[in-house]
Amino acid sequence: MHLRQMAAFIGISYGIMALLPILVGDIPFIMNILVMCLIWAVVASCWDVMMGFAGIFTFGQVAFFVIGAYGSAILAISHNITPVIAIILSGFITAGMGVLVGLPCLRLAGPYVALVTFGVHMALQPLLKGEIGLAIGSGGAAGLLTIPPISLFGYEFTSSNIIPTFYLILLISLACVLAIMFMIKSHWGNAFLALKDSEDFAMSLGISAFKYKLMVFAVTSFLTGIIGGVYGHFYGVLSVRMLDLDLFSILMVMILAGGLGHFPGAVLGSFLVVAGSELMSPLGAYRAVTMGALVVFLVLALPDGVMGIFLKWLNKDDSANPAGSFSNGTIT
Amino acid sequence: MFSEDTVLLLYEMSDVLIAGLSNGSVYALMALGMTLVYGVTKAFNFAYGDFFNMGGYFAWMLIIGLGLQFGGYVTIFIVVLPMLFGVGYAMEKFLISPLRKRADWENRIMMLTLGLALFLTNLYMVVFGVKLKSLPAILDGILEVGEFVFSYQDIMIFCLSLGGILLFGWTLNNTRTGMAVRAVAQNPAGAKIVGINIGRIFAATFAISTVMVGFGGILLSQKLFINPSSGGAIMVKAWVVTAFGGMGSIRGGLVAAFIIGIMEAFVGWIFGMSYGIIALFILLLGTLIIRPQGLMGKGE
Repeated sequence: MHLRQMAAFIGISYGIMALLPILVGDIPFIMNILVMCLIWAVVASCWDVMMGFAGIFTFGQVAFFVIGAYGSAILAISHNITPVIAIILSGFITAGMGVLVGLPCLRLAGPYVALVTFGVHMALQPLLKGEIGLAIGSGGAAGLLTIPPISLFGYEFTSSNIIPTFYLILLISLACVLAIMFMIKSHWGNAFLALKDSEDFAMSLGISAFKYKLMVFAVTSFLTGIIGGVYGHFYGVLSVRMLDLDLFSILMVMILAGGLGHFPGAVLGSFLVVAGSELMSPLGAYRAVTMGALVVFLVLALPDGVMGIFLKWLNKDDSANPAGSFSNGTIT
Repeated sequence: MFSEDTVLLLYEMSDVLIAGLSNGSVYALMALGMTLVYGVTKAFNFAYGDFFNMGGYFAWMLIIGLGLQFGGYVTIFIVVLPMLFGVGYAMEKFLISPLRKRADWENRIMMLTLGLALFLTNLYMVVFGVKLKSLPAILDGILEVGEFVFSYQDIMIFCLSLGGILLFGWTLNNTRTGMAVRAVAQNPAGAKIVGINIGRIFAATFAISTVMVGFGGILLSQKLFINPSSGGAIMVKAWVVTAFGGMGSIRGGLVAAFIIGIMEAFVGWIFGMSYGIIALFILLLGTLIIRPQGLMGKGE
């Protein structure tokens, strides 16, 4: 996909999103769902960049999200740091964790990376619940209940004045997604394409796989940490239940529905899936079952997601070469 | 010679050791199934732990439905193990093998099996409820040797899983199917040329690994309860044993399983059960950094 198409796609998606409050701005329930769409769009995009674009098969993105959320909340509650600063600091903390996890992972082969990152996810819950978590102020099994909202120049962005908060989060989310877009289309992005197509050849040209993969670990975990912090301050409560498999599976569905490795797809996927998931809420406990089944179905039946269909319709040439490969010898 | 406290501590430690050994034997069985399926089909199965629970739930349903009077656990094994084989076989044939045509099939399979894991975990929760289920002990009573006390249950678990491992090893080395499986693991293209039906071997391998982990599930659920959401933790455990022992090394897997079983029992005894997974994770990271090929695995 070309940069211009990508930008247009993101612009249209976020533009429609920005116009929706005109219609539903006075229904807090729907506005909350829209905020969720914006937040998951960033997490899903980061995960998609790691898996589909950089080819690092990680299952730790939810863990990074939780680290970011908890980091920012703990800084704000226990250390009295203004939420805005706390969010940025927690972005750096999460990026540091990402590098820490990335360092051993990058020496490993496919399933081992998946396993180590999944292990991070599994180990985080007992850590936050146990004595270590209590010592750093995670609130243990009860979680954190009194997270202050984001405040800028004395104005508090809480869920009671939802419309300004919505636009603030829209801006943050858009900034994160644009950062990802420019990363994909920059020199880095080309390096990843080269590494993915032929790692040996790319390395012989002087592209360091290790350096670039570590950088993508750092950048995606930074963005995930930032949006995690925003989530915590928006909701005001956090608990380790976020690490249950529900969130994990729903994010997976978002990426797959959008199209794995077709970047803006994850944004569209998260908008569609959050809406779809709300429509499925009458299913109750069966919703999670359906989500799991949906992952299986999407992997089997719709390998390129919604974006695949869209690309086929947009450009016959691009559909022959899925986005992210050298089409006609040029990188666009 | 020893004070009263020291003697008590020694007895307690011997209990922990026995628990570690009987858990370790089941871990060995599970790790073997995992090595097998990854070594032969190169498909990483994230739903592995949920097949463990599937074995437990099938057995539980039989016991609730029939009771133990019809031959007890022998009947359960005769009924449940073929069922697990069928489930595993169908899973491979209909869900996993269609993906092999794609270029990035290894990643696709991981995603698919993860989706399957989410599906099964949530299905168990909806169908059987979040409450833990327990299975009756396979054999009641205790064996006293001097001052030490062994429960027959632990001994049976140990013997049955070791028996399963030996039977598996024998099949792999001495039957035509076993040889075909090894041939596919060594060289899929070569195996195809000499007329081995690779698709069937893949499906059979997957099914056998399902049976092994389900068998482990029936054995271990008698001690640890059936927990619908434990699938992920069990999968990680089996994989850590496999990685620690060395991919593709049966002997390494056995040694690693016992080390990990005992380590986990002691960590649980000293720090509390929830620290088990953290200890496992540290062990995994340590192994991968210091000796990536595992205890007895061959280097790349």
